[in-house]
Amino acid sequence: MPPFQIKFMPENRIIEVDSGTSLLQAAAKAEIFIKSGCGSKGSCGACKVVVLSGEPLVTGTGNLTPEQISEGVRLACQTMIQGDMTVEVPLESRLKEHQVLMGDVQKGLLQESDHDLLEKFGHQPLATKLRISLSAPTLTENTSDWSRLSMEIRRVLKTGEKPVDIPLSVLKHLPEALRRANWDVSVTLTDIESGITVTHVESGNDNPPYGLAIDIGTTTVVVYLINLSTGEIIDQQGSYNKQAKFGDDVITRIVYAVENEQQLEEIRIAVVETINELIDKILARQSLNNTDFSSAVVAGNTTMTQLFLGVDPRYIRLEPYIPTMANVPSIPARDIGLHMLPDALVHCYPSVASYVGGDIVSGTLVTDLANGEDIILFIDIGTNGEIVLGNQDWLVSCACSAGPSFEGGGITFGMRAMPGAIERVVIDPDSLDVSLKVISKTLPVGICGSGLVDCLSKLLGAGIIDRVGNFQMGHPANSARLRATSDDKEFVLAWADQAGGGKDVVITENDVKNTIRAKGAIYAGIRTLLNMVSVEMEMISRIVIAGGFGNYLNVQDSIQIGLLPDLEEELYQFIGNSSIKGARLALLSQNAWREAKDLGQKMTYVELSVGPTFMDEYVSALFLPHTDFSLFPSCT
Amino acid sequence: MSVAIVKERFSGKIGEVILGATSEQGGTRTSTVTIGGDAALPFLHFEGKVNRPVIAMEVNDIPPTWNETLTKQYGDVFNSPGAWAKQCVDDFGADLIYLKLTGADPDGENRSPEDCARVVKEVLAAVGVPLIVVGCGDSTKDNEVIAAVAEAATGENLLIGVAEQETYKTYAAAAMVHKHTLIAQSPLDINICKQLNILINEMGLPLNKIVIDPLIAGLGFGIEYAYSIMERARLGALGNDKMLAMPMFCSVGYEANRTKESNSSADENPQWGDLDDRAVLWESLTASGLMQVGASIIMMRNPAAVKVVKKNIDELMSV
Repeated sequence: MPPFQIKFMPENRIIEVDSGTSLLQAAAKAEIFIKSGCGSKGSCGACKVVVLSGEPLVTGTGNLTPEQISEGVRLACQTMIQGDMTVEVPLESRLKEHQVLMGDVQKGLLQESDHDLLEKFGHQPLATKLRISLSAPTLTENTSDWSRLSMEIRRVLKTGEKPVDIPLSVLKHLPEALRRANWDVSVTLTDIESGITVTHVESGNDNPPYGLAIDIGTTTVVVYLINLSTGEIIDQQGSYNKQAKFGDDVITRIVYAVENEQQLEEIRIAVVETINELIDKILARQSLNNTDFSSAVVAGNTTMTQLFLGVDPRYIRLEPYIPTMANVPSIPARDIGLHMLPDALVHCYPSVASYVGGDIVSGTLVTDLANGEDIILFIDIGTNGEIVLGNQDWLVSCACSAGPSFEGGGITFGMRAMPGAIERVVIDPDSLDVSLKVISKTLPVGICGSGLVDCLSKLLGAGIIDRVGNFQMGHPANSARLRATSDDKEFVLAWADQAGGGKDVVITENDVKNTIRAKGAIYAGIRTLLNMVSVEMEMISRIVIAGGFGNYLNVQDSIQIGLLPDLEEELYQFIGNSSIKGARLALLSQNAWREAKDLGQKMTYVELSVGPTFMDEYVSALFLPHTDFSLFPSCT
Repeated sequence: MSVAIVKERFSGKIGEVILGATSEQGGTRTSTVTIGGDAALPFLHFEGKVNRPVIAMEVNDIPPTWNETLTKQYGDVFNSPGAWAKQCVDDFGADLIYLKLTGADPDGENRSPEDCARVVKEVLAAVGVPLIVVGCGDSTKDNEVIAAVAEAATGENLLIGVAEQETYKTYAAAAMVHKHTLIAQSPLDINICKQLNILINEMGLPLNKIVIDPLIAGLGFGIEYAYSIMERARLGALGNDKMLAMPMFCSVGYEANRTKESNSSADENPQWGDLDDRAVLWESLTASGLMQVGASIIMMRNPAAVKVVKKNIDELMSV
């Protein structure tokens, strides 16, 4: 059967696909990315498209209304191609370009501590570049090309016992490379504990070696370009993880990946492509070549790491939740397919357990948690709240499922921290008038995690909600902002004429309760972990918060709603995306990388689902701030 | 050799709650009932003050659908809530009357809030003991019923209920305005129990106007869950958690009499023996079990079981 032509509107882009391909797959092939929340089960309704012409095989209509169906609306994942078609992909079904939290490179606390840490661990990157001038061989000085080169490398680097090696792929081109350069060459080397490997030989130049720090998040992927000689972050780029089309969360993706080998490879390719596109953008902007990238460090959660490597993730999801590996061998970029020097090594951060992954080990390294007697608490707030507690002698970690509220999921007007997101809210308790601070000072279109924390605290303060999150419809201010809808109650944060989307931006009772559940899970996780190691809140000397929920963290409001422990504000530190920062640090320091692998080994994982403690803590945390007021003395 | 008795000393105690109001106190009761005030675990008199549990007998505004094993012990009183209540007090020795306004149920007789208030007045007139008044169980209707009842009985210091986490506001407001005490019910969950007490207290109702209903289960139907929740609440209260330090109400008569064991005849289950005896045992064992973990008000139905439990209380209190 000949391939069929599918035209996507409004791009007017035509691609050819075989019969039986779903519109979702065809769109991805056309590089039009459609939202998909359920992993092509036809249940979430996110992938709506309009069929303008053609007769596809429709395998399901999910939650579409009869009106929508008669208007030609179909679910892309349930629409199979069996002839030429023209399809319109509406805006609301598309994954949007968006700003991803890429770390506060220029400013803030972390820039300082990055620097300190690099000093602490020592600047000795995982890859280096040497300019070497060799004497040309003669009839009497007739040692081989490789011996000539390796002896010089040994002499310059004072390698001692450390072996210096060259892979066949580089060796093959060595004779020509040396002679073309007239024996003045630049040699790129991978330098790790087990030895030094030559990964590239080129004509002598003084360009610095570059490395890539990569954070693979379930939702977003971020790449930093690092000058390995100076440690400087030259460029950065972030985008959605293309695996999103297979499902929003790790579980849906695991389910998709374990179906068969082909789907596992498909999902692996999706993230590799995501990274490659980011690399290509950086390449173009910086006028560099693939071969300039001599090393990469990747930090991601356990599932992301396994999917990136194409390792069967099946048992992560099944009790007793066992990941395939903790430490990952370093792998040549060619084996993964990254747009780098083919022999450059890609190093993945080790995982601790199925739900405490390399991103957390990376964050733990950056927070300098295991350095001294002081007990430090590190919390990464995301869909999973991961918590690490400890000092130089011991480390415990756990993961609690908080849900996506703080990243904008499951909230009526929830969104990630990007222009148009409300990040601060002030409510006048007498009139219930609202003033907002919006990212990039645009009109508000939604609310991000930090705005949500703020909002909950202010709703409570103004008496709009009670301590379980019930809306108080009889509020004395009698404001039009507080209103009941057919199935919920809501508070208007911004009226339609002052909002970016042309609709009232509201927070509903349901949103409030979702947020209370999210904050309850995180606080319960903290309490359970402290309880297990018999540490009192007051013994914690520093609390480091990471996460992509906003540009800042309002500590006072976080305490008011019982998300974070009621401790002095000075003890808190917010570091944004800690995962990428740890990847950079490891890239620049062999000692840091060794420490990272140690950390992965040292960390004890506590499974919260064992025993009743977590559940009990969770229910008592479903209150603002908490059922036990004595834990929040500053809130009364 | 002399043995030193080890005594546990607790930092907290259960708050004292007074039910009913005499004419000097603005009501019409001939006597009031005081519950709570315990400073030790139940019946450990040597460790601290232990207050006497009281029995509230159930009366409905319409004839009940109870098993004959119960109804045959009563006279011809079911068409007159006043007479019914009077028999409970005079003949069976009830300390309080628990009046459930079943007739208000929109799916049943759908009686008006005014009718309900009238029944409450009738029972108040018939007996001198304090009253517990609860609605029919339909939350929308009960909001209206309780508001009308609370107003009609202003100053009587009824124990009204049941307030839950989603509905507490009407109840708390009615109790505050018309000077009554409130039952706060949580679904076998100590955290929600405490949260509800905080919410009600934050509306302005003092802690000594709240009674906890931990939601119990009958013997053989999960009584151990109720027991352990009540035990945790009691230990928390004695450990000085003021938000748990209220006396507890247990709907024993309702739970014990909806079990199969309290209803199945000896013809159906010969191995279980005579139903009349069995029903008495089922209700009195449920009651005495929960008394051991701090039940202050025991709601009952079976007059013969009331007699057994009263004897049990007398023995446990005679030290």
